[in-house]
Amino acid sequence: MNTTNILLIRRGINKLLKNPSAPLMGFGMSLFFLLVYNAGIGGIGSMEAFGTGGYLSFVFPITIISLAMGSSAGAGQTLNADMQSGYFKRLYLSPAPRWILVVAPMLADTISSLIFTMLLIAIGAIFGVSFQFGLMSVLGILLLSFLWSLTLCGFSAGIMLRTGQHQSAAIVTNAVFPLLFLSTTFLPRELITADWLLAVSWGNPVTYILEGNRFLLAGTSSVSFFYIGLLIFLITSIASIAFALSSANKIKV
Amino acid sequence: MTAEIQIRELFKNYPNGTEALKGISLEIQKGQFFTLLGPNGAGKSTMVKILTTLINKDSGDFSISGINPEMNQSKIQKFIGVASQDNEIDPTEKVEKLLIFQGRLFGLKKPEASIRANELIQLFELEKERNKKASALSGGNKRRLHCALALVHRPQILFLDEPTVGMDPVARANFWEVITHLNSKEGVTVFLTTQYLDEADKHATEMALIVAGEIQYSGTIIDFKKMVNPDGGLSLEDSYLHYVKSLVNQKN
Repeated sequence: MNTTNILLIRRGINKLLKNPSAPLMGFGMSLFFLLVYNAGIGGIGSMEAFGTGGYLSFVFPITIISLAMGSSAGAGQTLNADMQSGYFKRLYLSPAPRWILVVAPMLADTISSLIFTMLLIAIGAIFGVSFQFGLMSVLGILLLSFLWSLTLCGFSAGIMLRTGQHQSAAIVTNAVFPLLFLSTTFLPRELITADWLLAVSWGNPVTYILEGNRFLLAGTSSVSFFYIGLLIFLITSIASIAFALSSANKIKV
Repeated sequence: MTAEIQIRELFKNYPNGTEALKGISLEIQKGQFFTLLGPNGAGKSTMVKILTTLINKDSGDFSISGINPEMNQSKIQKFIGVASQDNEIDPTEKVEKLLIFQGRLFGLKKPEASIRANELIQLFELEKERNKKASALSGGNKRRLHCALALVHRPQILFLDEPTVGMDPVARANFWEVITHLNSKEGVTVFLTTQYLDEADKHATEMALIVAGEIQYSGTIIDFKKMVNPDGGLSLEDSYLHYVKSLVNQKN
C-alpha cells in the first residue's frame, strides 16, 4: 500500500480518536448486551442445547455483531464533515486515487471496530467465554467481524454520500436491527418453536455470522455456518465497497 | 509549440438544462498570467472545474502540459494548484499540521513537508496562527491558509478561482506579491478568474472574456482595451463594462 493511502487511513483513524462517539457507542451497547442478557436469562444456559459454553458463550456473538452496528456510522460522519467543510474537494484535487478517499474512512472505521472487538474478546475471556479452538477461534471471530463491519461501513458511507446528510449513515443500523430478531439470536434453533421464524432465519445472513461465531466459541454449531458466513460477508463487503464508490461518483464537488 | 493549457471545442451542459460552455477553444502558453473574465454564471467556474478534473466535460478536448488530465488524474494534480472561491480546509486541524499533511499527500517526505510548511507559514504571515486550529482563524487568515495549501507542492500551473474574496487589503497585497513572484521569477502559469478587475488589470497580461458560455474575446489585455477604446485611457474595468453593455445592447 502506498504512502498516500496509509496517510489517508491514518487520518481516518485520527478522526475517530478525536470524535470517538460512534465506536464508543457501539462498544457500550455491546457490553450492555453482554452483561444484561447474561444476568437476566443466563440461567437457561444450563439446558443442553446451549452446549458446554453456557449462555455467556451463546450470547457473546450478539455483542460482536452489535459492536459493528453501533459504530458503522463513523466513516459516513468523517466523509460528511469533510464535504461540509469543503476539505473533501482539497483531497479530491490531490494525487491520491479517488477511490481511497472513500475507502480510507471505511477501513479506519473497520480497524477501530476490530480493536474494540479484541477488547470485547478479552473481556469475554475474563468473564468465562469459551474459545473452542483457542487462537484460531479468535482469528476466525476477527475475520467474520472484519467483513461484517466493512459491509455496514460501506453501505452507511454510500447512503450518506448519496443523501449528503450525516444522520442517514444510521439508516443501515436501523435496517439491520430487525434482522437480529429474525435469527437465532436469543435461542438455539432446537428451542425455536415457530416454523416461520426458523424458515426466515435460514435466509437471514445474520444467522450465519451468529452460528459461525458459535461454532468457533463453543462448538454448538456446524462449521458450514462459518464457511457460508465468510462467503456471504465477503460478497456483501465487496458489494458495499462498490456501492460506496459508485455513490462517490455522484458527489457534487 | 504546444500550449501549456490547450482547450478545443469544450461543451458542458448541466442536468437542469443550463448550457454552461458552448464550444470553448483557448490556448494559454507556459508562464502566462491569464485571466478569464465574465459576468456571474458565464461559465468561468465550470471551466476551472473541468480543467482541474473536478467535473467532466460533455465533449471537446483539453490538455495540460501535453497531458490529458481526465486520463491521468493523479499525475496532473502534481502539476496544478487550485485555490477556489471556497475555503477548502479541515477546521479541526492545526495550521502547520494541515500544511504538512498536504505536502505529504503530494509525495513530500516528512522533513521536506515540514520545511515547506514553514516557508508557507512565513510567506503568508501565519506564524502566530501556526498551532491554532483552522476553525479558530479569522476569515482573512483562513483565506491565506487556503491559498498556502494550494502552493505546498510548488505547482507549475495555478488555477485561481476568485481567490481574494474575503481577504483584507493587506492580505490581498501579500497574496498578489506571492503570485506575481511565482509567475515572473519561477515561470508558474496562472489561470485566474476574478470579479476584481483592478487585480486582473494589474497582474495579468492575457485574457479571455466569456459571456453565456461563449468566448467573446481572447488576446492581450492591452489589445482588449484598444479594441474597446482606440484612443486609450480606459482601465480594464471600464473597458469590460463598456464591452459587456454593448454586447447586451446588441442582443436586445
